[in-house]
Amino acid sequence: MIRWWPVFGLKRRLTEQKEYISPVDLRQPKTGIFNRSLFVYIVDVGSSNALNFEISALESPQYNIHRFGIFLTDSPRHADVLLILGRPVTKMLEPLKETISQLPKPFYTVTIDDHPGQPGLNGYPELPNHIAALTGVPSPGQILGLLLDIAKTKRKES
Amino acid sequence: MKVLIGIVATPENERLFILDKGKPVLTAVNGKNPEETFGNYSILKQHLSKINDESMKGPGVFKFRYGPVTAGVREAGCFYLYTYGEKILRATIDISWKQRGIAKAMLDKSPETALTMAERVCSNFAMSHSVAFSRAVEMAVDISPSLQTKNWRTLLIESERIYNHLYVIYKLASAAAQKVLAAHISALFEEALRLNERLSGSRYLMNINSLGKLNRIPEISNIEKIADKYLAVAKQFTKLYKHSLRNYNYLDRLHSAGTLTAEQAEELGLTGPTLRACGVVDGLNDTTEHLISLPVITKKEGDALARMEVRAEEIVNSCHYLADHLRASDSWYDATEKDTKSPNANGTGYAVVNSPSGAMGYYVEVNDNKMQRVDIFTPSYPGMYAVSQGLEDLIFTDFPFVFESFGVHFADAAI
Amino acid sequence: MKILFIIALLFYIAGAVSSRKTYLSYTFGFLGSVSAFLSGCFALTRSQILWDFPLLHNVSLSLYMDHLSAIFIIIATISWMALALYSIDYSKLYPKKRLPLGFNLSLLGMLLVLTAHDGITLLAGWEVMTIFAFLMMQGTGKYFEHSYRFLAFGELSTIGLVIGFAALYVTAGSISFDALHKGSYFVLILISLGFIIKMDIVPFHAWMKGIYGEIPDNTAALLSAPVTLMGVYGLERVIPLLPNNQLWDIILILLGAFSAFWGGLQAAVVDKIRLLPAYSTIENNGMILTAIGFYALAEGSGMQSLHYLASFALAASIILVISHTFSKTLLFMSIGHAKEAYNVHTIDQARGVWSGVGRIPAIGIVISALSFSAFPPLIGYAGEWMILETLFQSYRFSSVAIAFSAALAGILIALAIGLISFAMIKLIGYTALGYDHGRKSRPIAKRFMHTAEISLESLLVMGGIGLPLVILFIGFPQLLTGLLAIPAPLVLASNQPAFGVISPTFIGIIMLVLLIVPVWIFMKNKKKTRKVESWNGGIKLEEDEFFTASAYSQILEHILRGFYHTREKKSKNRSSITVNDILLRPTEFITRMVQKTGKIMASTLMNGKISAYVAYILVLFITVFIISMVVK
Repeated sequence: MIRWWPVFGLKRRLTEQKEYISPVDLRQPKTGIFNRSLFVYIVDVGSSNALNFEISALESPQYNIHRFGIFLTDSPRHADVLLILGRPVTKMLEPLKETISQLPKPFYTVTIDDHPGQPGLNGYPELPNHIAALTGVPSPGQILGLLLDIAKTKRKES
Repeated sequence: MKVLIGIVATPENERLFILDKGKPVLTAVNGKNPEETFGNYSILKQHLSKINDESMKGPGVFKFRYGPVTAGVREAGCFYLYTYGEKILRATIDISWKQRGIAKAMLDKSPETALTMAERVCSNFAMSHSVAFSRAVEMAVDISPSLQTKNWRTLLIESERIYNHLYVIYKLASAAAQKVLAAHISALFEEALRLNERLSGSRYLMNINSLGKLNRIPEISNIEKIADKYLAVAKQFTKLYKHSLRNYNYLDRLHSAGTLTAEQAEELGLTGPTLRACGVVDGLNDTTEHLISLPVITKKEGDALARMEVRAEEIVNSCHYLADHLRASDSWYDATEKDTKSPNANGTGYAVVNSPSGAMGYYVEVNDNKMQRVDIFTPSYPGMYAVSQGLEDLIFTDFPFVFESFGVHFADAAI
Repeated sequence: MKILFIIALLFYIAGAVSSRKTYLSYTFGFLGSVSAFLSGCFALTRSQILWDFPLLHNVSLSLYMDHLSAIFIIIATISWMALALYSIDYSKLYPKKRLPLGFNLSLLGMLLVLTAHDGITLLAGWEVMTIFAFLMMQGTGKYFEHSYRFLAFGELSTIGLVIGFAALYVTAGSISFDALHKGSYFVLILISLGFIIKMDIVPFHAWMKGIYGEIPDNTAALLSAPVTLMGVYGLERVIPLLPNNQLWDIILILLGAFSAFWGGLQAAVVDKIRLLPAYSTIENNGMILTAIGFYALAEGSGMQSLHYLASFALAASIILVISHTFSKTLLFMSIGHAKEAYNVHTIDQARGVWSGVGRIPAIGIVISALSFSAFPPLIGYAGEWMILETLFQSYRFSSVAIAFSAALAGILIALAIGLISFAMIKLIGYTALGYDHGRKSRPIAKRFMHTAEISLESLLVMGGIGLPLVILFIGFPQLLTGLLAIPAPLVLASNQPAFGVISPTFIGIIMLVLLIVPVWIFMKNKKKTRKVESWNGGIKLEEDEFFTASAYSQILEHILRGFYHTREKKSKNRSSITVNDILLRPTEFITRMVQKTGKIMASTLMNGKISAYVAYILVLFITVFIISMVVK
């Protein structure tokens, strides 16, 4: 017998009410137009994969990013923020440039340099609207805090 | 059984890095024909960055490129699917988009620095990389870590297995449009990562392992609570897993997707859940140091569903194993630390670790306290061949299940 | 009217005589078509006997123009005029003299068919059309064996007509159309079969494969649109006159519907750029046949209540004819233009007509393909809606068998429309609007081509939007009415009191109004639009990474593998998937027979000499007479 999934799903409340704080300040003034919705496209240019896992964790019900109007999109053409994971491998510089050229204006780029100082990787090329640069492997809560900063909303504990 | 993990080649000679009943062995080729014994010899020998790169021609056949930047496969990597519409005739995988040259960058670095770099090859396997590397170096410079270190390493590898397997099943459920299941499993996945942090201070178990010792011993006061949490994860997961096995929609999608026979798997030199899902008992669990090893879980079908089942049962096993041993960990402090004799400055070493996706091997040469040579043999590289073979003759829709079910990562395959 | 008709004939003969100068010859062809068009216009209001020549006792050759001929002459001549104009430029690519010769004389043959009022004149015109269309097929100068298949099926249709008229002569003692009502069911079946074969109804379409790829474009257009139109005309002419047989009507309905379905099914998977429209012809003619069959059924039932539905079915068939003739001519012209400019043969190779060849042929492909996909407000939408509306009103018949067959036909045709839309989207998406990969076409003369294309494009749009006028023109004012808030001539009713649908005119008006605001907003913001490469995973798309046209239809080939007989072959480095039209087989014996006699024919008859053709026609005439004498 097939159990009815939605009932199972609704029984547990997993979403957490927390204050999410960004580890860095924004480097640019932000526009107000992403107040209610922020679409994020993610591009991995050479990360060590921990960041990919963190993004997956960010999608978990504990964070429930959709309640803030934050969505991960499947195309850079729908994105407001380009989240660049890792420092670029030489071969990924070209695709990175191409991805940025596909973003509709206005947009922001955010970099997360997971292992600063690691040899064999390039520095970042000139990025347009580079609003924040994180280092290390930030937790999903920190990434969410940054995205909320960009979107200009802050969810306080309730 | 013997599995060829890698080839250690110098201009003069060539040695085979073999896992023989759970023991890593390095043997010289000595004129024997290794291609006959090991089907994966030529794969490892060539070590191409474009996997299964043979073109397919025919009327209407074209190369459907998926990557390097897509939302479906978030990592930088590229698939070329030869097709005439729906059916995948051949899958070529280009892993060069993530080639960072880490093994090369490790040269002339001190073993300690190289260890941190090993953790960054593929951070979701950080513990496996770190342990394999440190064991190889320990063998090279002849230091033996304490029992306590060995035990903690074993446990941390198990906790790495838990979150990685949860991740794979989360991705599979997500790809099969089982959103409720996916959401619950991802909650468990996040829970496992938080447990990692409580245990080791890092969500990805980084910076805890060191050469011959641990950087910090997990705090004993929390252990009981953490053990309970692992049991809770196991309980909740079992519930979800049983639930999901009643969902024909989910099972139908995974069933007979990306099927590999035991012969094919052995031919490709696969290890880990992929091999075990084909019904082959591998000796990987015997690579565990000191603590008694876990039971080996096998399934016969060799498809995505079987791989999922193997991983699911391993999650539950590992959780119980962790909970039991964590509770017993206070007794480890009684174990006597070996007197630290000064390590050698030169030597060669090799080690294999049972990573979540299969055998992780390291071969190192240390010279004058500097890394002279590092060869990294990851499970994802043969795994990519398995993905390529598993995708053949399927349709596009099956792509995510097949890819995710192998649990391979571009970061791990391209070093 | 008579004078215009004679002028038209003279122009065609002049065109044939001056076939060495292709430019002049096609100009004559154009002028002839203009005169024929004008004579048709006059005949709309006034029927007239053009010629009556008593040949034997009871047998006279006569030419006659009435309202029906006039409609068909006007439809056909518009297509001819466009084709003649198009051919002026086209002949620069293929300057063989047999092309204009065949063109002019087959037009002449068709004009005879459209005005014939007796069996012999009809057959004479019929043969002239067939033989010279065959002559045109060799217009590229290439010899190919398959072309005999066309002749074989052409002659098969002639044989049907010859025996049919001979049988008529036996029963009625005359072969004039006036005597048709005295004909037997045998006559009905044979004569309608003769016409049906010409309409390429399944399974009489087997000649197409292997031929459409080779023949010149104007020939393809001629064969697909005006030549099959003759079959339709023949049916519309004789069916009301012949005695009615319900069973045969049902057979016609089902055969037509199946043909439509089959044509759509095959069109969906072909990748040869000219075979797709050819299969679409089968689909369209199938629908037309169904409409005619339904008309015969409703009218023949004798019930007063069905009379209105019968005239609706007849109107549907004529609207479909108009839509098909114009759209198909335009489609073949535009495709031919693109194909020649690129010098290619498959849909995949002819990508990016819009940017690579030109806007006008691209718009031609888009408009005609949309018309075939029943896209409002184009005229094809009206035709296809009308046929479906007709069929789903079959509940008015008291017989369950009829209601069931008509509903079945409706289902098949609905499927056919879906499949043909699938095929046409392939043509639009790949050929007209696809990526051109930076290719540029070779320069070809295109002034007249463009003129012809633009005129048909505008006709298709105007024909849809001005549908009420078209309905009036073909003589069905009773079908136009008003409903609810929509004023009087804008609703097409299939029933009285009104049961119908809003005509494309109204949709056109609404679309226009709804378009103005978005287009205005778009134009206003256009400066802000940034153009980038299409998103393809971060790197440029290589030419071998493009989704191919055959891949587009592969899912269909797989799901319907029973219909297509899909076979897959896979080796290490080569894979292929093949589909077959399994209905080519039943008529294979004809093909085989032709192949056997092909060599003999090649040496005696088909050697390219005019005298041989003339002799052949004479022999046929004599045969007809002998048969009629003998049976008498």
